[in-house]
Amino acid sequence: MASAVLARDRKATAEFVRLYTDPVHKFVWRRLVPKVDLVEDLVQDVMLAAWAGLKSYSGEAPLRVWILGIARHKVDDHYRSRLRLAVSLDQDDGVEEPQDLSEPVELALDRMRASERASQILAEMREEYALLLRWRYWDGRMSKAIAEGTGRTEKSIERMLARARAEFRSRWETTERSGREQ
Amino acid sequence: MNNKVQTEELIAAAAESGGAPDAAPTRLKSRIYSALMLAEAAEGKLRDLSETVSAGWNLCVFEQIVQIAPVGSTAKAFNYCRVCHGRLMGENIENPPLYWSCCPYAEFKNG
Repeated sequence: MASAVLARDRKATAEFVRLYTDPVHKFVWRRLVPKVDLVEDLVQDVMLAAWAGLKSYSGEAPLRVWILGIARHKVDDHYRSRLRLAVSLDQDDGVEEPQDLSEPVELALDRMRASERASQILAEMREEYALLLRWRYWDGRMSKAIAEGTGRTEKSIERMLARARAEFRSRWETTERSGREQ
Repeated sequence: MNNKVQTEELIAAAAESGGAPDAAPTRLKSRIYSALMLAEAAEGKLRDLSETVSAGWNLCVFEQIVQIAPVGSTAKAFNYCRVCHGRLMGENIENPPLYWSCCPYAEFKNG
C-alpha cells in the first residue's frame, strides 16, 4: 500500500486513511482526554506527517506500528508544549505526597473496573498533571527526559509528579469513599 | 506494597481501560483524505485512473466516465473528488447520505 500511496494513487490513499485513522484517533484521544477538542487537529497532523514521511518507511515494522510511532512523537510534542506553559505547577509550597492513607487500595479489585476508574480520574484532573502522569507511566518517559523536553529541572519534574500522584491518590480515595457510602 | 507504587500501578492500569471511541469521525477521515489529495496533487500528477484500475482498485461512477472518455492522461490524473459534492458532504456531515460505491467519502462510513 505504501508504494501505491507514493505513486499518488487516490484509491490507495483513501485506503490508507480508512485503515489507519481509527487507531491513531484512539491513541491520541486517550492521551488527550478530556481535551478532546484538540484530538482531531493532532490526528490530522499525524496522518499528514505519516504521508510526508512515507518515503522513509522501510517496511520492517507493520505500517500501523510505524504510524503509531509518529503519533507518539506528536503527542510527546503536545505534552512538551503544554508542560512548558505550566509554570505554576512546580512551586514548592510544602505540599507533601501522602504516605499514610487510611486504607490501602485493594489491587485485587476487578482490574477492568479499577483501570476504568483510574482513567476517569485522569480525565478529571487538571490537564498538566494528567498528561504528566500519562507521559511518565503510560509511555515510560523518565523524569530526566521529561525535564529535558520541557526546559525544567529534573527536581522540578519530580515535584510535579509527586503532586500529580498525590492529587490522583486523593481523588481515588474520594471515589472509594463515595462508592462505599452508596 | 507502598503507597507510591500502588498509585503508579493504578495510573499505569488506566492505559488499558476503554473509553475511547473505536472509530474516528467520518468527517475527520474525509478532511484528512481531502488534505492528502491536495498535497499529492501539489507534488505532481495523480496516478492515471487506468493505472489505478490496473492496480486492482475500483472507480466511482464519475471516475469511470472519465476513464473511458477519449481524454488525455492529464484529464485522467485530475483530482475529481475536489469538484464533487461528495467531498463537501463528507467533510461537513457525519455519516453523510452518500451511497454510491467506490466513493471514498461514502466508504469512510463503513470503517
